[in-house]
Amino acid sequence: MPRHVTRRMTRAVLLTVSLLLAVVAGACSSGQPESSLDRVQQTGVLRVGTEGTYSPFTFHDPATNKLTGYDIEIITAVADKMGVRAEFVEAPWDALFASLMADRFDVVANQVTKNAEREAKYALSNPYTFSAGVIITRTDDTRISSLADLKGLTTAQSSTSSWAKVAADAGAKVEAVEGFAQAVALVKQKRVDATVNDNLAALEYFKSTGDKDVKIAGETGDISEQVFALRPEDTALRDKINTTLDGLRADGTLAEISKKYFDTDVSTGKATEENKDQAANQSTWELVKASIGPMLLATIKATIPLTLISFTFGLAIALVVALMRLSSIPGLSQLARFYISVIRGTPLLVQLYLIFFGLPALGLTFNSFTAAVIAFSLNVGGYAAEVIRSAILSVPKGQWEAALTIGMGYTTTLRRIILPQAARTAVPPLSNTLISLVKDTSLASVVLVTELLRVAQIVAAPTFQFFALYGVAALIYWVICLVMSFVQSRVEIRLERHVAR
Amino acid sequence: MSDFAVSEVGLEGGRVLLSATQLHKRFGDNEVLKGIDFDVPAGSVSVLIGPSGSGKTTVLRSLNGLELPDSGTVRIGDVSVDYGAQPTKKDVARLRAQSAMVFQGHNLFPHLTVLQNVTEGPLLVQRRPAGEVRTEALALLDRVGLASKAEQYPFQLSGGQQQRVGIARALALRPQLMLFDEPTSALDPELVGEVLAVMKDLAGEGWTMVVVTHEIRFAQSVADQVLFMDGGVVVESGPPEAVLENPQQPRTRTFLHRILDPI
Repeated sequence: MPRHVTRRMTRAVLLTVSLLLAVVAGACSSGQPESSLDRVQQTGVLRVGTEGTYSPFTFHDPATNKLTGYDIEIITAVADKMGVRAEFVEAPWDALFASLMADRFDVVANQVTKNAEREAKYALSNPYTFSAGVIITRTDDTRISSLADLKGLTTAQSSTSSWAKVAADAGAKVEAVEGFAQAVALVKQKRVDATVNDNLAALEYFKSTGDKDVKIAGETGDISEQVFALRPEDTALRDKINTTLDGLRADGTLAEISKKYFDTDVSTGKATEENKDQAANQSTWELVKASIGPMLLATIKATIPLTLISFTFGLAIALVVALMRLSSIPGLSQLARFYISVIRGTPLLVQLYLIFFGLPALGLTFNSFTAAVIAFSLNVGGYAAEVIRSAILSVPKGQWEAALTIGMGYTTTLRRIILPQAARTAVPPLSNTLISLVKDTSLASVVLVTELLRVAQIVAAPTFQFFALYGVAALIYWVICLVMSFVQSRVEIRLERHVAR
Repeated sequence: MSDFAVSEVGLEGGRVLLSATQLHKRFGDNEVLKGIDFDVPAGSVSVLIGPSGSGKTTVLRSLNGLELPDSGTVRIGDVSVDYGAQPTKKDVARLRAQSAMVFQGHNLFPHLTVLQNVTEGPLLVQRRPAGEVRTEALALLDRVGLASKAEQYPFQLSGGQQQRVGIARALALRPQLMLFDEPTSALDPELVGEVLAVMKDLAGEGWTMVVVTHEIRFAQSVADQVLFMDGGVVVESGPPEAVLENPQQPRTRTFLHRILDPI
């Protein structure tokens, strides 16, 4: 049964990296005459790819900052026994497999769960961890004790985790999150009913936090096996690692390392039946065809409304803030300056997290879409305020005076005389803001909005078709932006019609 | 401080519409108005002349509160503002509503058609009925010779035409007093005449006008009263034949000589 978890936020940047690496991998995976086993033995170095951020499996000891953990100790023991040195390369989960294929390292040691797709794509070692799936709920929630109870309820799962499929197959609605801690937070905030994960992650969470608000409510009945992953052609190196693992299991080294981390031996377990759902040997093209529908749907239902609503509110905020900046009333200008400074001085991602995950602590809980709209509107407000302010300042003073002398007040002057003229100056930079916003909405996936990129991630994660699916996502974003650029040029032409050339 | 503040003309011309008393204004260290007094009788044309920096534009802009003098009083009809007594925006707006202004740079609204420029004030501010405003605006445009340009945008007009639209826009407000701030200074010489001709017509129709200008001949033929300003004071004032043809003050003579005989 599959398992693996990404606990980390998955950012577009990383995806791009993995995309590029995938291209590189494609370009140079062929024609590697020398076997990796030979090279490892000749150089005396086994290169290991790992996240380094997944406690207790692969992480940096806060005291010493040294890379350590269960997986790290096991692969180090394997390397020692092979008489070579383990050299670690740290990379985000999303980039690990692409980097492996690009020959950045020889083996991935990162709680890689054995499943059919991976078996088809990589050379997998024998298991060195066996873990059981568990269901985590609020401590006071008595409705759930087995997978069957999840039917009709909502669970929070990492989008790239195979537990998402387990939950979905059980009939639960799945909200996508960035890792176990976030999933637990959602359970505690009553935004979801449960999260499904493996017992190791859960035990480690309880051990490190002492959290009493959530509990293990039941088991899924799944046992998953974690393995080392290698390039498919490296069967010789894989076989060497397997015999070495057998030796370490026989001499008790594996059990010893396991007990150090989990108080129990998770390195042996009864073999489980092979994953039955022989994962779709869909061709890339079929996969893309099948996923375009959901991706377009997410574009129409989330990406575009999120963009338009946020931009509208954002412009309203920006206008108010710009007028405050221009105001002579004491304090208003400073207040506006402060707002702009905070918005421009903090990452949009942090603003999203604060509003969605932070505000519930103050008793303010917004649903995903609302939280995203609030964050994006505030963000657009900060950036567009300066654009609008300078556009207003670009209208000649004589226009204000002429409006005054025909008796107009401040508001009428703004509405009828100043803003229509300021618009001409403001449209090009505001269009930039809008086009950036289209792409920034991809960040809404971190607060569970199922927008375009999230759908691409969900489809890509289990199939490993990163290039094709993120490529399609990129294309859709690009087309939206093309349309917007077209609209922008029409608007500009319209606004220029009063102006001599 | 001027000894010629109240002109004979004002006294003879009947009801005084505009009264400016002891206007003082200072920009930092620069005292631009040092106590300006004058009256404008209803139905008369007063022309302010003087070298640049003499304060004449500042005086004109004090009459509708575009400039706020530090002290002094402006009264137009029965609305009076004492600038020394911290008037509110509302007070100044009431004073401003008594007059309309034609600017040196016309300041037409570039995004509105010629007709919309003229109707904007009556419709949005005075809230008069749209049909009536439109008819009157078209009549005003006809009067300044631009009926055919009603649907064009300001950039499509010549400088003289733009300035005539500016005049129509001001007239549409039905003000008691028309203020002209160097209405021909920014125009090409061959376009000056068409604007002055319109102004002369208005004077003939009995509009009360205060005009800042360098057009001495216009002053000679149209003005009831000429005020010569220099260094923030009214140096000399009176009927054009007195001030322009027989100036008493050396500064007036020097100025007129320079204007009329520049080479």
